[in-house]
This record gives sequence, structure tokens and C-alpha cells, in this order.
Amino acid sequence: MGAIKGFAARIRALLFPRTTERALNEEIEFHLEQETEKNVRLGLSRDEARRQALIQFGGLTQTREAHHDVYAARPVEELMADTRYTLRTMRRTPALAGAAILTLALGVGANTAIFSAVNAVILQPLPFPKPDQLYMVWEENPEKGWYKQVAAPANMLDWKQQVGAFADVMAYSEAFGTSTLLADGEPVIVRPAFGTGNFFSVLGVRAALGRTFLDAETWRTGQRVAVLSHRLWRDRFGGNRDIIGRTIQLDGTPVQVVGVMPPSFAYPSENVDLWQPWAWNPNNRQQVFFRRAHWLKVVARVKPGVTEATANAQLQAVVKRLQRDYPATNRVMGAGITPLHEFLVGDTRLPLLVLLGAVGLLLLIACANVGNLMLVKASDREREAALRLALGAGRRRLVRQALTESLVMSFVGGAAGIALGWWGTRALQAMQPAGMLRVSHFDFHWVVLAYVLAITTLSGLLFGIAPALWSSRRSPQDALKEGGRGGSQSRHMRRWGERLVIGEVALALMLSVGAGLLVRSLLQLRRVDPGFDPSGVLTARVEIPGARYDTGEKANAFFARLESEVRSLPGVQGVASTSNLPLENTGYSSDFTVAGWPEGTYGTEVLHRRVTPDYFKVMRTPLLAGRAFTDADRANTQQVVIINEALARKHFKGVDPIGKRIVFDKNPDSTSTWNTIVGVVKSQYQTKLSLDPQIEVFEPLTQSPTNGLAVLVRTTGDPASLGPAVRRVVASLDPTIALASMVTMNQVRAASLARERFLTTLLLLFAGVGLALAVVGVYGVMAQMARRRVREMGIRLALGAQANDVRWLVVRNGLRLVSAGVLVGTVGALAATRTMRALLFGVATKDPVTFIGVPIVLVLTAVVATWLPASYASRADPATTLRAE
Amino acid sequence: MQSPSTDVLRGTLDLLILKTLALEPMHGWGIGQRIQQLSRGVLDANQGSLYPAFQRLEQKGWIDSEWRTTENNRRAKYYRLTAAGRRAVGTEAASWRRYVEAVELILQTT
Repeated sequence: MGAIKGFAARIRALLFPRTTERALNEEIEFHLEQETEKNVRLGLSRDEARRQALIQFGGLTQTREAHHDVYAARPVEELMADTRYTLRTMRRTPALAGAAILTLALGVGANTAIFSAVNAVILQPLPFPKPDQLYMVWEENPEKGWYKQVAAPANMLDWKQQVGAFADVMAYSEAFGTSTLLADGEPVIVRPAFGTGNFFSVLGVRAALGRTFLDAETWRTGQRVAVLSHRLWRDRFGGNRDIIGRTIQLDGTPVQVVGVMPPSFAYPSENVDLWQPWAWNPNNRQQVFFRRAHWLKVVARVKPGVTEATANAQLQAVVKRLQRDYPATNRVMGAGITPLHEFLVGDTRLPLLVLLGAVGLLLLIACANVGNLMLVKASDREREAALRLALGAGRRRLVRQALTESLVMSFVGGAAGIALGWWGTRALQAMQPAGMLRVSHFDFHWVVLAYVLAITTLSGLLFGIAPALWSSRRSPQDALKEGGRGGSQSRHMRRWGERLVIGEVALALMLSVGAGLLVRSLLQLRRVDPGFDPSGVLTARVEIPGARYDTGEKANAFFARLESEVRSLPGVQGVASTSNLPLENTGYSSDFTVAGWPEGTYGTEVLHRRVTPDYFKVMRTPLLAGRAFTDADRANTQQVVIINEALARKHFKGVDPIGKRIVFDKNPDSTSTWNTIVGVVKSQYQTKLSLDPQIEVFEPLTQSPTNGLAVLVRTTGDPASLGPAVRRVVASLDPTIALASMVTMNQVRAASLARERFLTTLLLLFAGVGLALAVVGVYGVMAQMARRRVREMGIRLALGAQANDVRWLVVRNGLRLVSAGVLVGTVGALAATRTMRALLFGVATKDPVTFIGVPIVLVLTAVVATWLPASYASRADPATTLRAE
Repeated sequence: MQSPSTDVLRGTLDLLILKTLALEPMHGWGIGQRIQQLSRGVLDANQGSLYPAFQRLEQKGWIDSEWRTTENNRRAKYYRLTAAGRRAVGTEAASWRRYVEAVELILQTT
């Protein structure tokens, strides 16, 4: 109790110093009165009595001071005094303070923005209950080079039933393209995700309105149902609660809306507009395709307390059994699990960590710059420090004051940095390629604030160390001796400056090399010939409702009419359609074998694409051999395919593929369809420019119809300007068909490079800022050195040195430091860029062009940065400098 | 100082204050007078040094203070021993005695 009261008294004294002081004064006054009274009683005059009382009491001031010291208030008071002092000096030297704060704000702001993304994507758990119980279950097939791939439905159902460690297993797919929603008003394109009936319950989420799926709805129940995203409900149905139970048309099929999800739910991605249960035909369960076709993403929730190892071991046992029981489909099918969060973060982790490293380097450069500013300031004030030391100030007190100044500076800079970072976070969200960061909204989070606080404090200590040590190490005699005239710079001071230059150059070099590698990589990617000519081509995805276009003939007739109508538009050179756009997505892949191959040999993973006859002409993809498709290739004529160059090279070495017959099955039987190869075309890049083209076959649309195609229009003028006309054609043919946004093939190509461009742009930006800061820093140090050597230069000039010699002297000194920095930075960059290997294309991590080019640029900029101070020094007027003695 | 009194040894002032307060609550001046009287004028605490000592003891939780009115109708801050303070008198006094004995032993042998 007593101790608590004592502590309370301490706090009171700190918070209400006046009250405490008044109480003490009253107490002392009482004491003195008593003593005076006593003395009067002993016979002294009143004045003398008072005087004796004061003598008896001892020094009043000492007592007050001693009383004050007993409270722990002193350090706090000093801190507040130092803070006030710092803020005052900052106001007095606004240029210096502004430069330091701006520099820090840049460093902290960049870190805030990038760390916000890292926090949202990597550090924050998934927004589901008990997210660490969720695992992605994937399949692998070494024979086909599949790794962490989508699973077959029958396998998924077996895992669900047989793996005891799994509480439940659900599956979903978002690879269904788009659907056309017809409710009231215009038809719109929506993006559906399909899942098993327990899709929501495994994740542990509830509907905001209505219900989610029922487990039984995995299978066909008669009524098709859908759950809407909050966004679709709000934008399309005005947030009307009557939506529950209403029937809407999806691709011409009536679907009942049973629920609306809360706005926070965005799985598997933020693009999903609505979720539908698969409603599989129960007979599928026994069909072989149910185990052969792999297309599901599978998520399992393990039972409480089950470890990853246990769950995986049990899964492996089931996998072994399936391999034994279903050799035709599962002989080489493996499976495994990865924590869901880790799986989803996937290949976003490396770019984000590289960016985090880059902004870390940027902050270090900023700290070096501010450190130099503080050092210059400290050296300008060294006489003050020396005087205070001579007058008996403690060294620790001086160090503490210097550190307080740095910390105050860093906190002001940090606050500005948070503001900048908030803006940067917004910019990052807006700039990111669709879906790259998995989350598009990340707001300030306490983890981010804690991180910013930590780096701000660390920065303050980091750039405060030099000035702090500086002010404490000085011996008063030296400082006062040389302080009289802005004398030659002390060795200690100069060494700090040199270290800063070397450090800044090294850091800037590391940043620039990283950015340089990415730029080179991006340039290499842009140089890749995609196998088609993307300029002048407009594309639009058209989905026709399967309910009305229920036969291949009807669908083909629609697309034939569409193509002919568009062809007659002015400015159109050619029209074609394809099931999948190159550089956007691929269709399905299959095994295959060729007539004449030895029994049992087959190839795997050949991609399939459907095209209309003019496809290769419109895309300007060269035909290397044979013929293109023609209108004569019809459903009832010979089944034909065209293969790409990659397939011809890989499987028809030294053999003419034209006329060979191919079948898409590894064990063809009497029911298999044999196709005749009629042509070979140059390979088109199917997914990304960084992945070599895969083997692929093209089928004529007439022989394998579909309800969804991308229409390609080659134009003479600007392709985008043709958009409205194409839209009118579609509407005139069938007003219930919605057209997704139209893009040019150049945009498709650019979108395929969006991630690379995003990362390169950011790193280039950071490297640019870092380089600018480093140059300013080098200039600052060199200018300071030159200023300190003006007298020396004046003497040299007086003794007959030429201005050029003097300039060279300063520049040489600068070059020496910059070279040392380049050396250190190169070693650092060699180590750091190794982590970037997976992000580079066609460029080695030790790319000589980058590793030679960047240092040259750096040295040249540094020469400029040292040249200005050098010419200042060379203009020193010998007469003036010497007279100043 | 001209008085023949002895300055109170550093560190013993706290014990003297505690011992004095063990009799009854008292104000600062009174405590100073009492120490002087009880030591028959030998110990004359520097009166100014009493007040920091009060703060120290208060923070340790050994004494407590409150403002009261004296018999002359004057406001004064009275100090009194807390329970912890009462215990401390015993231990502090014991350790002081051990110290004195030790010094005495040394003085006798030389």
C-alpha cells in the first residue's frame, strides 16, 4: 500500500509540478515561522530571529533541488526540454529540417506501403475461422510434369471419405470463364465460381442473407441455386432483400438465388460475382472420366489438433490404395497437402519480399543522408558542445540530447512518412495487376503501425549514433582551440563522412543493380516474338446461352453469321474466332498417340484449341507446312487438325507430319476418333512470354463446336474504335447476349506482362529515389569536405597550384570513395540478386551488362556530385582565405 | 558551523526520523526539534535536509503525510509512521546497532 502511495506521489509530482512545489514552499515557510518564533522566544529581534532561522535551515534552493531530485521527474523533464529544444532548432533551420524530414518521409513512406501489402498478403491469416486447419490438397503426376495441380472429382470424393484426419473436404473451380446473367434490364457478364455443396461450410462462413449451399447440392437436386456476392447484389439488385428466393437466368437456365454473402467474403478471388453448386449427375460417380479429368481445387479442413504430417501420412495411404485400385487412371497420380494460406500466397511472396528488401535499402540510404545532415549540424555546433562539457555537463547528458534530437527528427519524418505511405498504399492497390496481391483492400493495420514505429525508432538511433558519439568524444580543449575559426576538419569527422559516402554508394548500387536486372529481363520478354502479330486486332469474348443454342449446328450457325456480319463492317480486314486467346489462357490438354507409332507409346499434355478457318490469317501466324482450315472442313467431312511447330519438332523429328493420323487417347480403341494432320503453324505463346510454347493442336470449330468463343477482328485503323460497331452486331443478332469488355490483342499481350512491369516499375522507382538520395548525400559530404578545405586550397593556389589541380584533388578524393562504395555494393548485389533468379527471364543474376553498366552510371553521377564542390574549392581566392587567418 | 553539535551522518537521518515518528505523528519542524532535544543537542540535523528525507521515506512507503491544523490554528504537514515504517524501525535500528558494535570493536582493539 505504502509503495503504491509513494508511486502515486511521484506521478503527481510529474504531472502537477506547480502543486508539488507550492506544497513544499508552504511546508518550508511553516518551518521557518516556527523556528523564528522559537528564536523570538529566546530573545532575538524578529528580523534577527528570521535570519537565524534561515541560516539554521541551510540553503533553500539546495533543499528544493534535493527535494526535486528525489522524484524521478528529472530524466523526463530533460527529455521534454531536449524535445522542445530540437523543435525550436528545427524551426530555426527549416531548410535542413525540411530536407531531413522529406528524406525520412520518402524512406518510411515506401516501407509503409510495401509492408502494408506484405502484411495483408503474407502475414495476416486467412479471414476464416481456425484458418490453420485449412489445407489445399493437390495432385501430381511426374509422368506429365504436373506438380501441385488440380484434382479429379472421384479422387477428391475418396479423400473426403477415407482420410480420417480430414474433418471435411470441399472442392471448387473458378475456371469457368463467364456467364451471362439475365434478370431485369440489360444482360450482364458475371464471373461464377462453382463448388461442392460444402464449399462454404468447410471454410466456416455464413451467408449475410438467406443461406449458403446444402451438402446435398453437390449432386443434382432438380432446382439450380446460386449465392450472390455482396457486390453483385448491391450493384445489380439494388441491395433488395427480396432477392432471396427469386429466379434469375444464367446462360438461359433458371437459377434460384438462395443467399447473399457478406462483403468481406471473396474466395477464391475478388472477381467472383456468384457461387453455384455443381449439381453433378450422381451417375458420374462410376464413370471413368470422373477420375480421369483433373480440374478441381480441393480444400480440406483437418480435425482439431491434427498436424500436417499426420494428415499427409493418412492421405498418402489413401493415394496408394487408389493407385492400386484404379491403375488405368491413378497409376502415377500422387497427392499432397499445403497449408491453404501458403498455397494462395504462392508466387506473390518472392516479388513482395524483393520489394521489401528494396525499400529497406532505400530507408538505409535515407538514414545515411539524414545522418550526414545531423553530423554537419553537430560539427557546426561543436563549440557549443565543448563549452557545455567545459562547464561540467555530463557526456551522457550530451549523448542523450543528441539522440533525442535524432529521435524527434525521425518521429516527425516518420509521421510524414505514414501520410506518404497511406497514399502509397492506395497507389499500390490501384496499380497492382488484377489479382496479383490476392487482396485489393488493405488498410492500415496495427501490425503496420508497429512496424513503422519500429523502423522509425531504429532509423533515429541509426542516424543519431554518429552525431551522438561525435558530440561526446570531443575533448573541450581541442574543440575550443580550433573552434575559433572554421578550422580544418577533424580526422574523426572526415572518417564518418567517408563511411557515409561509401555506404550510400554501395546501397544505391545494390538497388540499381536489382532494378537493372528486372529492366533487362522485361526488355528480353518484350523482344520475344509471340508467334502472332498483336497490333491491329480487337477481341471480344462472346458466350451464347447453352439453353437455346443446344446443338453444335445452332452454335456454329450463330458464330458463322456473327463473323460474316462483322466482316462487312468498314475497316475490317479479317475476322476469326478461337476458344482460347494466346497469352491469356489455355483450354484442356490430353494424351495422344500417332498412327504408326510402336504399340503403347504415347505423348502427354498436348493443348487443344478450336479455331475458325481464318484464325491464322487474322493472327498473321505463319503456316509452315500443309494447309489452313477451310469452309470445306465440316462436321461430316474428314476429321482434321493443325499442329504447332513445337509438336512437330518434338514428336515428328525428320518425319513429315502432314497426312499423319493422330488420336487423343493413349490407348486408342474402336470408339476413338482419328484426326488427320493437315498443317503445321508457327507456335504461339499460350500462357506467358516467359514460358516456351507448349505442344498444341488446333481443331476446326465445325468439328468440335462450343458456346464460348473469342472473336478476333483485324482492322486497318485503330482496333479499339471498332468496339461499338461489333457490339451493335451482337445485339442485332441476339439481344440476350452480353459482351464482355473488348480488348485489343496488344492489351492482352501487355496484360500478360503486367506482373513483370509492375515489379519492374516499382523497383525502378525505388532505385531512382535511392540513387537521387545517394547522389544528394555524396554531394552533401563532398561539399562539406570541400568547404572545410577551402583554406588549404587557398594556400595551394597561393603557392602556384592551378585551379584544375585543385579541382582534380577534390574529385579524386570523391572518386576514391565512390569506387570503394561500388566495390562493396557489387559484392552486396552479387549476394542479394541471387534471390531474384525466379523473377528473371533471359538474364543471368550476374548479368554483365547490368553489373558493368550500373556502376558506370553511378560513378558518372557521383563525378557530377563531386564536381560542384570541387569547382567551389578551386575558386577559393588565396588573398581572402589567407587574410581570414 | 559555530555550534558544537555534530552533523548527522548520512543515512542515519532516515532512522532518526523514523524513530522520532514512532512516538507520535509530527510536522517537519517538530521532528527536527525532537531529534535535537532527544540527543541533548548533540545531533543537530541540517534542517533543510529533513525535507528531501521525508520525500524519500514517503516514496519507500514508510511514512505517510497529511495536512492538519496546529494548536495555533496554522496549516502544517504532519508525518506519521505506516505499518511498513513501524517494521522498518526495528530492522533499521538493529542494523545500526550492529554497525556501532563493529566500529566499537575496532576502536577497542587498536
